[in-house]
Amino acid sequence: MEGVLLPFRGNILKYEVTDVCDLLQAMCKGELIVKKVCRDWPKEAFGSGLVDECYYDEFEKNATTAAAKVFKVKDFAEGEVKLQEILKNLAAGKYDDKVLPTKEILAVGGEERPELKAIYDNLGKDYTVFTDKFDIAKHKASAEVGISVAEFCIAESGSIVVDNKSYEARVTSMLPYTNIVFVPAKYAVKDMSVACEIIGKVFKDGYCGFVTGPSRTADIERVLSLGVHGPNYLFIIAVEDMK
Amino acid sequence: MAERNIKEEIKAKLKDDVMQGALSKFAEQYPGSRLKSYEGQDIDALRNSFRDMKIDAVNHIEELADKFQASVEKRGGVFYRAKDGDEVKRILVEICRENNVHKVVKSKSMASEEIHMNECFTNNGIEVKETDLGEWMIAIAGHKPSHMVMPAIHLNRYQCAEMFTQELKEEVPGENIPYMIQKARETLREKFLAADMGVTGANFGIAENGAIGLVTNEGNARLVTTLPRIHVVLIGYEKLIPTVADAAKVLRLLPRNGTCQRMTSYMTMVDGPTPVIYEKNGEWVEEDRKQYVILMDNGRLEAAKDPIFKQVYQCVRCASCLNVCPIWTKVGGHVYGHIYSGGIGAVLTGLLNNGLDDFAKFSDLCIGCRTCVTVCPGKMPIPDIIDELRSRYIQKNGAPSMDGIFQSVMSDRSMMHTLLLKAASLTSAPFTNGKFIRHLPLFFANMTKGRSLPAIAPTPARDRMEALYRNNPKNPRYKVAYFSGCNMDFIFSDSSVNVVKVLQDAECSVVYPMEQSCCGKPILGVGDRETGRKIAKKNIEAFEKYDVDYIISACPTCTETLHETYKKLFANDPEWSRRAEAFCKKVREFSSFVAEQYKRMGRLTPTSGGEKVTYHDSCHIKRGLGISEEPRALLKAAKGVELVEMHNCDKCCGMAGSFGMKYQEVSIPMLEEKVKNIKDTGATTAVVACPACMMQIGGGLDKAETGIQTKHIADILAERIK
Ligand code: SF4
Ligand code: SF4
Repeated sequence: MEGVLLPFRGNILKYEVTDVCDLLQAMCKGELIVKKVCRDWPKEAFGSGLVDECYYDEFEKNATTAAAKVFKVKDFAEGEVKLQEILKNLAAGKYDDKVLPTKEILAVGGEERPELKAIYDNLGKDYTVFTDKFDIAKHKASAEVGISVAEFCIAESGSIVVDNKSYEARVTSMLPYTNIVFVPAKYAVKDMSVACEIIGKVFKDGYCGFVTGPSRTADIERVLSLGVHGPNYLFIIAVEDMK
Repeated sequence: MAERNIKEEIKAKLKDDVMQGALSKFAEQYPGSRLKSYEGQDIDALRNSFRDMKIDAVNHIEELADKFQASVEKRGGVFYRAKDGDEVKRILVEICRENNVHKVVKSKSMASEEIHMNECFTNNGIEVKETDLGEWMIAIAGHKPSHMVMPAIHLNRYQCAEMFTQELKEEVPGENIPYMIQKARETLREKFLAADMGVTGANFGIAENGAIGLVTNEGNARLVTTLPRIHVVLIGYEKLIPTVADAAKVLRLLPRNGTCQRMTSYMTMVDGPTPVIYEKNGEWVEEDRKQYVILMDNGRLEAAKDPIFKQVYQCVRCASCLNVCPIWTKVGGHVYGHIYSGGIGAVLTGLLNNGLDDFAKFSDLCIGCRTCVTVCPGKMPIPDIIDELRSRYIQKNGAPSMDGIFQSVMSDRSMMHTLLLKAASLTSAPFTNGKFIRHLPLFFANMTKGRSLPAIAPTPARDRMEALYRNNPKNPRYKVAYFSGCNMDFIFSDSSVNVVKVLQDAECSVVYPMEQSCCGKPILGVGDRETGRKIAKKNIEAFEKYDVDYIISACPTCTETLHETYKKLFANDPEWSRRAEAFCKKVREFSSFVAEQYKRMGRLTPTSGGEKVTYHDSCHIKRGLGISEEPRALLKAAKGVELVEMHNCDKCCGMAGSFGMKYQEVSIPMLEEKVKNIKDTGATTAVVACPACMMQIGGGLDKAETGIQTKHIADILAERIK
């Protein structure tokens, strides 16, 4: 079976399943074969009163301190403009005077969000964009940019909370030199205690965690150096009306 | 097992300018940076909630482990419990064989260092690569990590570059750190991509869902848990926590204390086998990776059963106890440590891996200053655990021979004084300088370098006491007994007289029980509880003969021993336990007691102007007894005295009981730092409330010919009594 169209967060999405039994079983249990820790964080995990956009500003401040570059935009349309700009700036050597190739891009999260899918499709006109998991796996070592999604942000630490159960999401956010992440600006929490409380509600298996700035080390003379194993750059595009 | 020559090791490290520079800079910066990362947080509340969670965890460790195992297995992970390092290695080899593993990448794990895990791979022809940059570099050089969080802190960029050059077989210049980082990225990236198996430790393991948490800045743990098709977790029992929500209790403390960050770049939680896409027989497939979890004992379960040792479960491995340790910051982790370094290193060495012998080789480097306890996230009392380990070692191996002299003289006071006096009299007049003797034979010989020694008082305090009784107030508010301790008896006999004067002036009648002895700390400090108990009994009996309200000591170390340790010594002896309890309750430290009396008498009002004095907080009074405001209040109220604070006023002066004698190589630089800080204040007098510090600092100020006096706070107070 190639794929099945089913509703997800109000969108009709395509799910990959290997056989009909799997699909039926999953549907009976109310969970679909989405490789995520939680299918719908806002509905199943956030609860009431814990997540509030009032924590966003503090998050942005602390994320910036942690060397992330954060941009807040109104919607995905603005987000797309921002994304294009970031890619152009990278190639033009606007960051740290380094010309950074952006030819190959890994991009995940498109199946979940049609808006993102559209953005990735547009990107495909100027860049080589891989969105299929096998393509991502095949090009993981050479791709220069990864684009992915985070679920919510933490004010106390400037972290974004990522649900990276799928291999492609992990590879996309870790291997390329530049990591660009879309995050819903209004989903922010006060501190790490609240974040863990939320995660605890839905974390039954898989892979998730916090990302706070780019990869770094201070192992040589305690001098801060970025990009040792993971990305050298973390761009966060915080979208106000993203759900 | 190889013998260690700690004194030689110390000498070499003190000459290592690179390390000295790095450590002293770090020691200066760390406390402030740590505090900054906690801005707006109630640190103590965070520490308590973490500690309480861990205390609960260790009390239910078997249950927690069963639950963790069930959670891992339910998700399809393969679970092992390993008794010791050998068993872990057997399991690892088996996993590799079963899965045809040739290449392994690992992210830093102290547990794997503990058992020398790498051997089992290399012995079986399996390539294993450490991926943490610091660990990778020092592995190339064949060094050991000198710090849990910053393994290569003892090296500078040029030394690091040499390791790159050696590994990459190309010239790597030391000037360019970003270039080195880029090189490491490229080299290790290949290793990640080619590896069949990834091994990680865990910063925590969650019982309710079987997830493990990994906290890193480099992101290597994320790659190790993403790229290879097999993931092996090596986790110790002490890392288990009940719930996902509890992880926050670790996460809010560990990065702040460890690296002064609110959060590290990556905090990753892996729960069960997760998908991996790889090329299998020429075809790209998506499968769930295999996950193996090895829960390692290696001494941990035994520790969990012991009321004192189980506190080791309160450790998050942040290494901040090293960062503030006056000894670690001087000699580094290669000297002060075995596999794990610093105070926590001593504790873990002693408890894990059957390492009591290794522990004993360096554990006397801990001077019990308790600085580490003030920052430890889990409030783990490192020096107390070290004390307990020393005592276990002694029980096992008998008392160290050098203490023979001590044991014989300790309980006979007049003999002790005669002996000391004789020693002193062997040195003729030209060797004495005011109150200080420059050279002394016997075991004092080592102490004379870099400091002068105080002269032995011609008449010990005990022989001057009776004459003072006539000044006892007629209608005393309190009846107190004075416990002098050795230093205040034999050396600072004048200060003892002043102690009595001040107490009498504060409406107390004073008595000095003649049968009192040494408090026993020097003996207890090396772990000899048997002799310690004998001494304690003698003292308790001596004071029971007098019906007093309080027992006052002007030596914080004695106070702490009398007040805290005596109770604990007789835990298994109901009769003596009761008598010790009654005794301990009465014990009070001099300066805080006097401050209380002065306050009652309306004499604690601050005055202004006068001779500049600075106050040094002794370790035992500030962190052992929690007294720091009272002596300052007394000084502020003293007429004609102006208190000026010195930099690092509560940093150890280097004396610390017999440490100053045994490790003068370390003690002297500590003293020199103290002397400099005192000089910088412009004070004419350094005031202490501890005779051991008085000896050390007095000697240091004298030797440096600063002209600055050293006084016990009792001297300052007595001078102001008409
Ligand atoms: S003992 Fe305390 S300070 Fe030392 S590593 Fe453990 S948690 Fe950190
Ligand atoms: S008590 Fe002092 S010397 Fe001992 S480990 Fe702690 S900080 Fe270091």
